[in-house]
Amino acid sequence: MTVSPVARSRRSRPLRGRPELYTSYRQDMALLNTRGKRVSVLLMVLVAAVLPMLLTDEFLTIAATGMVFAIGAIGLNLLTGYAGQVSLGHAFFVGVGAYTAAYLSGDPDGRYLGLGVDNVLIWLPAAGLVAAATGFLVAPIATRLRGLYLAVVTLGLVFIGEYVFSEWRELSGGGGIGREAATPILFGNNLARDGASYTEEQKLYWLFLVTLIVLAVLARNLARSKIGRAFAAVRDRDVAAGVMGVELSRYKLIAFTVSSFYAGVCGALMFVGVGQFGPTQFGLLMSIQFIAMVLIGGVATISGSIMGAMLIAALPRISSELPALFSFISTAPNEHPNIFEIEQVTYGVLIVAFLLFEPRGLFGIWWRARTYWKSFPFSY
Amino acid sequence: MTEFLTAISAGTGNGAVYALLALGFVIIYKSMQVISFAQPAFMMAGAVLVSYLAPKVGFVGAVILGTISIAVVALIVERVAVRPMVGKATFVIAIITIGIDIVVRVVTGAFIGVDPLVLGDPWGLEVVKVGGVNVEERHLAAFLVAGVVVGLLLLFFRYTSLGLAMRAAALDQEAAMAQGVNVGTVFAVSWGLAGGLAAIAGVFAAAGDPITNNFWIIGLAALPVIILGGLDSFGGAIVGGLVIGIAESVVASYHSVWFPFLDKNIGTLVPFLLMFAVLLVRPYGLFGTKEVERV
Amino acid sequence: MNRTTLRFAALASAATLVLTACGRDDDNEGTASGPGITSEPCPDAVDDSKGCIYLGVISDLTGPFAPVGVPLTAGGKAFWDKVNADGGIGDYEVNVTEYVRDNKYSPDTHAQVYGQIKDKVLAMAQSLGTVATEAMLRDADAESLVVLPATLGSNWIFEDRVTEIGTSYCAEAMNSVDYGVDELGATGVAAIHFEGDYGDDAAVGAKIAAEARDVDFTDITMAPGGDAAPVVAELMRSKANLVVISTSPTELAQVVGGAAQAGFRGKFIGSIPTWNKALLGTPAKPALEALYLWASSFPGWDADTAGHEAMRAAAEAAKQDPNEYFALGWSGAYVMKAALEKAIEDDDLSREGLLKAATSLTGVDSQGMLPDGSGNYAGDPNEAAVRSTFLLKPAETGSSGATVEVDAFTGPTAEGYDFKEACYLQK
Repeated sequence: MTVSPVARSRRSRPLRGRPELYTSYRQDMALLNTRGKRVSVLLMVLVAAVLPMLLTDEFLTIAATGMVFAIGAIGLNLLTGYAGQVSLGHAFFVGVGAYTAAYLSGDPDGRYLGLGVDNVLIWLPAAGLVAAATGFLVAPIATRLRGLYLAVVTLGLVFIGEYVFSEWRELSGGGGIGREAATPILFGNNLARDGASYTEEQKLYWLFLVTLIVLAVLARNLARSKIGRAFAAVRDRDVAAGVMGVELSRYKLIAFTVSSFYAGVCGALMFVGVGQFGPTQFGLLMSIQFIAMVLIGGVATISGSIMGAMLIAALPRISSELPALFSFISTAPNEHPNIFEIEQVTYGVLIVAFLLFEPRGLFGIWWRARTYWKSFPFSY
Repeated sequence: MTEFLTAISAGTGNGAVYALLALGFVIIYKSMQVISFAQPAFMMAGAVLVSYLAPKVGFVGAVILGTISIAVVALIVERVAVRPMVGKATFVIAIITIGIDIVVRVVTGAFIGVDPLVLGDPWGLEVVKVGGVNVEERHLAAFLVAGVVVGLLLLFFRYTSLGLAMRAAALDQEAAMAQGVNVGTVFAVSWGLAGGLAAIAGVFAAAGDPITNNFWIIGLAALPVIILGGLDSFGGAIVGGLVIGIAESVVASYHSVWFPFLDKNIGTLVPFLLMFAVLLVRPYGLFGTKEVERV
Repeated sequence: MNRTTLRFAALASAATLVLTACGRDDDNEGTASGPGITSEPCPDAVDDSKGCIYLGVISDLTGPFAPVGVPLTAGGKAFWDKVNADGGIGDYEVNVTEYVRDNKYSPDTHAQVYGQIKDKVLAMAQSLGTVATEAMLRDADAESLVVLPATLGSNWIFEDRVTEIGTSYCAEAMNSVDYGVDELGATGVAAIHFEGDYGDDAAVGAKIAAEARDVDFTDITMAPGGDAAPVVAELMRSKANLVVISTSPTELAQVVGGAAQAGFRGKFIGSIPTWNKALLGTPAKPALEALYLWASSFPGWDADTAGHEAMRAAAEAAKQDPNEYFALGWSGAYVMKAALEKAIEDDDLSREGLLKAATSLTGVDSQGMLPDGSGNYAGDPNEAAVRSTFLLKPAETGSSGATVEVDAFTGPTAEGYDFKEACYLQK
């Protein structure tokens, strides 16, 4: 439980019974500024931590996938949501992370390039750092551009990345063949194998959960710092921000680098459970998927990114329940409309519907629900 | 030499398709300052619709009907999903069009089905000999039709009051509104035109070859075209389309000679590499207008 | 931390302990002897007194290989419908529709949907995508999972749990080259292919055979949906007069049509996935009729065997147009049926029992649908590998748009080739 020291200091102690009265700016900006938040966050983390004891492998895998997606979505949200730089190139950085991790942990005597460093604590940060470095290199081109020019250029990055990944067979195994993903060894324990007391799914879930919590807290802290405020200024009106003394290229560079770091970590973890991946994974569809998570979850919110990622991860499972509800949807793939098509359409419809009717995403829905109950019975 | 000229003639045909698609993007961009990522899906829908109609009403009739139908679909989409968002951040609208793209593509895909679909065009794989070079009729047709369509568009913008209204709205939306231009109509017409252009482009992209679910990918090559030419430039779209079509075709043809160490044909990357090269020198494309911003 | 928070923390920790002590419920839903076998009848049972065996299907139903996955799935379903109508297997009927999932040709989606069904199916009646299938087999929960693959890569002969059928793309390409050299006088061979387990497998087979027969070899990679003009340009530059092509039908039509225009006078021999009857309606039809042969280890839709007859009847009843993937889905199911029957006979119907039964098979009665020598999973990979090939020719008279031109043969290269690892890995 992290209560920032400021919130505890006597000078800015909240007044009893008046939780929304802030007596200092730092208190207002504190991560968990009300008791309700402190308690609910604590509860949520605890529930998340014990979930593997309750859920079957099936739901655990969905939750685990959602958490890995969430890491990537937070990264994209920092860039697109907070700093306003639309990127369709997220999948490329995810790929860089995935290949860095696979390269580091791969068998040095194996068919594909590998160094044999299979400790998670080494390859996970390294994947993030290499992706961040790539982002750092690409950013100068990107910072010259604005708006939709940037979107299309980052799209080009995805195509070039896909080409390089599949051409570089020693690293990737080539399209349609692929290579093994990174092996997660933590304190001598292979997390991707069933152990004596815990299964693979449980162990990976905890690894992802811890990573997500650490990275989410870091992102939240970044967003409320000077850098985060600069991001918002760049997003809302970059010319105005520049006039006020926000160094545009510098902050765009930071946004790109940090976002790529998150993408790299996400990529490193994405295939650990599956064990194998190919270069065609990192295409336009993956980029769109991340954009969907950010928009459906809520632009410029960390918790929204997590909610959006969870929803996208659970979407195939949700749509597999649809035929039971609507009899005209077929389960046979050679009849139309079938559940598999419906699932694809749902992506598109969700994106459009959220942007039209709930631009603040799942976070917005949650916000309104909360406000309603907070002021109950005087809500309107 | 023959080989080179063959590559150029094929590239010109592809370039004409890119140019048609790019014009659609530019028309929408000029009226709303938005890139519509739904264009590839409309292109695919156009080709599929024509292939269904061609056996019933003949090819020319099918192209006309198909073009009009897709234009109408685009109009409806604009009214339902895009108009409510006017005034919001442009990237939000752009992302909405990605959502639309997915929906239209899946629905179209269901109509393609399992077997490759045949367009039913009259050109097939026939060739005409021009000075010893085999020029495919479909490429010739694409080039000619694209020329006619561009000419008609220019006349439309030059001589009709609606065209004038669109140009006025593109120049300064508020001033145009003050002069009584109905900007809503301008938006609708621009989407309709773009949808129709996409359908025509789809017909020529599909001519001669079977249509499958991957067909829409061709439409993505038009994105580097508009960036290369400049998002708000008609001339840029046409020049960019032809340049990228020809460059792609030539590089792809000589891939094994120039890049023997690369396995996969690098031709597909040419549009994007050209785009990067141009953007390094000119951030608003070859013919794009530099945005002037006031705070 | 203030007192309230502390109280909550204590409460939550207590809750954690209680929940942990409960553990989670990992039991399967009342299965008789393991996952995928119930004494309850199937949801759409013909005979309610029989139990039900559930087989899973993970295929590409909306992605780039949907034209393969969809009819393949339908073919498997038609086969089991017939088996169930004829009295099922032992005391069971077989269900292949309850656990059908779409992987969109993506390994992580595959893994996710496998997680959904793995406790509910006895074996996999179909698994499409090599990366995805290999990833699935690597899972600890798949230790004794029998899988019927949806691809014919030469990798599967090395995997015990996978009951591959037919001649691999690799051996088939060897036969194509041998035929070209011996019968068509080929002096130069080109392989035009997709990348990956399918195209690379055929290309490597062609290369091995070209080297063995001492003819020139050119390797041309083509992307799905890619432009055919540059491929044709490279082909003409290579001076090859035999082309082993392994793409999808669309690219086949584009390349063969383009090559005919450019004055190509050799022959194209295509792998199984290159043909589709709809190509006879494309402008490339005359070129295909003149230049193309279709290599397959299966005798085609119209073959005069008991199995084909039953399949044609079933397809007609299901309003399914003649489609070779449908036939493949049907033919492959014979192997699964034989393994299930063996396991029931051995009185060991479980995942382990089924694997033991499958790996002890030395032949499968497929009513003439599978090539000779199929269904031998007991011996060493080289003994078990099927190596014979039919060549078919496009023709309107054939129901699937092709008729047998050259009866099953095995060329000298494939005959003597010693498979050491999957061909596509040698690229």
